[in-house]
Amino acid sequence: MHSSSIENTTTMETLNYYGKNISETIEGREAKPNPTPRAERLRSLYLDTKSSASVEFPYWYTRRWEELDGEIPVIRRAEALKSAFSHLTPVIYPEELLVMGKASYLRGSYPMPWLSEAYFMATEDRMYNDAMQAGKISADTVTTMGQGGGNVTQSMGNVLSIAGKFGLRKEEMPVLMNIARRWYNKSVDDIGHKYEQMVPAYKEKEAIMRSVICMFDSGYTLPQGREVINYYYPLQYGIDGIIAYCHQRAAEIAGKYEMDRLYFYKAAAITLEGIQKWILNYADEARFLAGLEKDKKQQLEYAEIANRLQWIASKPPRNFTDALQLIWTFHIAVLNEDAISGLSPGRLGKVLYPFWKTDFDKGLISREETLEWLECMRVKFTEIDCFASMGVVGGVLSGNTFNNLCVGGLDKDGKEASNELEMLILESGMRCDTPQPTLSMLYDEKLPEEFLLKGIECTKIGTGYPAWVNNSTAIDFLLNNYGEEGMKPEEARAWSIGGCLETSPGSWMPLDFAGKKWLIPGGSAPATSVGVHFISLPKILEIVIFNGTDPRTGQRIYPEHNRKLDSYEEIWTIFQDYFRRTVEVLTLTNNIQHDAWRKITPSLVNSLLKPDCLSSGRDIGNQGARYNRTFNVEITGGVNLVNSLASIKKNVFDEGHFSISTLRDAIKANFGYKSALETGYYSLLEQVKNENFQSWLKIHKLCIDAPKYGNDNPYVDDIFKKWTEWFCTMCSDYKSLYNKPLYACMISVSTHAPMGAVTLASPDGRLCGTTFADGSLSAYPGSDKKGPYALFSSATCYDHSLAQNSQLNMKIHPSAVKGREGSRKFLELIRSYLRKGAFHVQFNIVDSRMLKAAQLHPEQYRGLMVRVAGFTQYWVELGKQIQDEVIARTEYEELS
Amino acid sequence: MENAHKNCRFYLPVDAFKGFCKRDKNRINADDSCCENFERAKQCQSCAYFDHLEEFSGKCMQRFFAYPDMNALTCSDFKWLTQKN
Repeated sequence: MHSSSIENTTTMETLNYYGKNISETIEGREAKPNPTPRAERLRSLYLDTKSSASVEFPYWYTRRWEELDGEIPVIRRAEALKSAFSHLTPVIYPEELLVMGKASYLRGSYPMPWLSEAYFMATEDRMYNDAMQAGKISADTVTTMGQGGGNVTQSMGNVLSIAGKFGLRKEEMPVLMNIARRWYNKSVDDIGHKYEQMVPAYKEKEAIMRSVICMFDSGYTLPQGREVINYYYPLQYGIDGIIAYCHQRAAEIAGKYEMDRLYFYKAAAITLEGIQKWILNYADEARFLAGLEKDKKQQLEYAEIANRLQWIASKPPRNFTDALQLIWTFHIAVLNEDAISGLSPGRLGKVLYPFWKTDFDKGLISREETLEWLECMRVKFTEIDCFASMGVVGGVLSGNTFNNLCVGGLDKDGKEASNELEMLILESGMRCDTPQPTLSMLYDEKLPEEFLLKGIECTKIGTGYPAWVNNSTAIDFLLNNYGEEGMKPEEARAWSIGGCLETSPGSWMPLDFAGKKWLIPGGSAPATSVGVHFISLPKILEIVIFNGTDPRTGQRIYPEHNRKLDSYEEIWTIFQDYFRRTVEVLTLTNNIQHDAWRKITPSLVNSLLKPDCLSSGRDIGNQGARYNRTFNVEITGGVNLVNSLASIKKNVFDEGHFSISTLRDAIKANFGYKSALETGYYSLLEQVKNENFQSWLKIHKLCIDAPKYGNDNPYVDDIFKKWTEWFCTMCSDYKSLYNKPLYACMISVSTHAPMGAVTLASPDGRLCGTTFADGSLSAYPGSDKKGPYALFSSATCYDHSLAQNSQLNMKIHPSAVKGREGSRKFLELIRSYLRKGAFHVQFNIVDSRMLKAAQLHPEQYRGLMVRVAGFTQYWVELGKQIQDEVIARTEYEELS
Repeated sequence: MENAHKNCRFYLPVDAFKGFCKRDKNRINADDSCCENFERAKQCQSCAYFDHLEEFSGKCMQRFFAYPDMNALTCSDFKWLTQKN
């Protein structure tokens, strides 16, 4: 393709460098089994449901909070949570087995103005006017709103669109504004902001945020999540048991040293009473529905639901279905206490195994019945929505909530830990393919072939899960990171993924059930990904080239360096300096935000679940958890940074094709193309040249032809290695508010889209406004030309255990993995990568033509799912910036 | 007071637009007019302690702000305004 001279290169040839033309015939994915009819109907209901917000929870929270002005903060918080939980209106949908939800809609959520009310205050007039002008519409109008799936992208009828995603009834808008005003100058955002300004470099932080070098603040956006929940205490003791323990401990401590423990125990008990009332309200509703029901089977199921809820409201579970309902209830209880993404159930197949195995051996539940419950669970997890601003929900999360369920791994003694329930979890993920919970295979050489092939079977059908994660690399990271807090190899084996790909510590908990002692794993640290949320590496390089100024806005971000940039080393040194400044100021300001968070809205539900908060009497904000080194620095666009550095090194300094000044001009001219923001095309597959195209053609071609990461080329891989090792080391120079060093986190989630959108053309030939390469190790779309094994060599040019994670996404054509033979080849491919010490790889098994067709006709592809960057999402609920990037990704047609 | 489905005790909301009738499980729109089986739901607007002030707001027990359409099924202080419609 590139043998022609530069002068003769046509537009299409230049563009096709990044991918091939899409032909007409679409290759389907491998056939998949169907869910049970019940799960299919529940999933259909979900697919026909719009994301909806309500104010019930914030109303009762705020009302009780105000009543208790002057009370000890953690007690005030607990009483507010209790009031809110107690007042949530129960909703049980026909045929549900597993019941309860975050709010009183199927896909319900709500704002938490005690974290931040700024969005509502800033848009108050517009939203209020929308509410006043709203009018009645018919259901037909609503159901034609296909694009965007469940997102309410526009206000319609009596429903207002918030943040381009959530529908809110117009009659609730005035009270929402009223509540928001009550939190003005009292929210975590506002209080934190007040004290952040005391950091000397605060003005630089503001400039960094405005230029989107950093994606978002940490302390008031998603202060919890990216962690693994621990279900042990309710399963072992029941809610009454935990309350009794809290009362006992409070009595022992009252009036003695470290009185904060007294308030914590009192607050935990109050919160649990609210959760009990919430569960019992659902039991009442189930009884009410049973009374209305004419169908005997459904009537019996409502009665069973009522009985189950009544029991678990106070006592430990009697069986598998009790246990599943109890863990689900606590899962959403945690989600209701804070704005959270990435609260992962962790190794649920091991947590539930004692209950399931006992029931199964007694003949109380069959495999098919288990699958039906697991499929219903998948639908419930998929219903979870997280209410946050458009920038966070869309730009970071792509509407996803990252409830990662892991299978495989090892037990405490180092033996392989797969079990039959995990096989059923994989099967349910195939039969009832939904975005949540996403699955991860904790790959270990000891896992049986049959189990691994089951994982392959699941990945192959195009679910995007399980992702494949290296157990031993993660354990190395954990021991390096948490060794000082006492972690031993046995406990490191209890780890799991929190969120999309955050390695999270766990612990083995001794469960008594059916006369036996079982060790079940659960999370034992708070959020493992808070701190510095996504630094755009190509943007910092851009600002280096433009002497400390953001060329998009003209604003000064960093002090002028006033260097000529006449050597590669000088550019690298200034880049390091700017990057360090960024990490430093963001660490300090985010520490202040998190301090405000733990003082104003301390975690109670999550805290009482996490060892060792209950035994120590301290919540997670006071380091009550077993492991507390959990703050990190996240980055985006690493591959574009490295490719750009390679291009500068080769073209400007090694071969002298053009000067840094000419490169600066070429970047400003976007290499003769229109901006993606102008054209609406966000990958290089589809770009529109402008009238100056020919002037920049040669330089653009040189930039594109410069060595690219992903081809086993030491020229660029050495740059990658040097950058990554420096980054992973420098993070520990900065400390969290718990005075513990930060660590490196190398994932993109969806930030590669919005951060690409604000970045001009880059020296690697990428054009203005287009999306960066995803993950941390995915090649830039179309630039990896030597096959998967060359990509693997590039990706493992450094030690992956230096960071919390790494992320490699690959797109494979369905024909390459067809049949049993295809499965074995696929497993060998994954093995070969993980055996090199890699941390993670995940796949889209899809024909790009299907994605293109889905972009044109979204109404025909409501259920189509793709893997983005650490998560699976419905295609129609993704923004176009991400859609274009996924389409453009290199598609491997063979695995050699 | 409105007599739309969303004001009925048998209304089960699915999202902000629509829901089910708990009696027959038919899909219905929140804002459509009710049927002959309508029974008023417990909402602030049907509570004796609620004072209606503006279109979408009022006071509960003369102390707390509130709004007419808020569910009151779980409110322990709820008291029917007069009698059930």
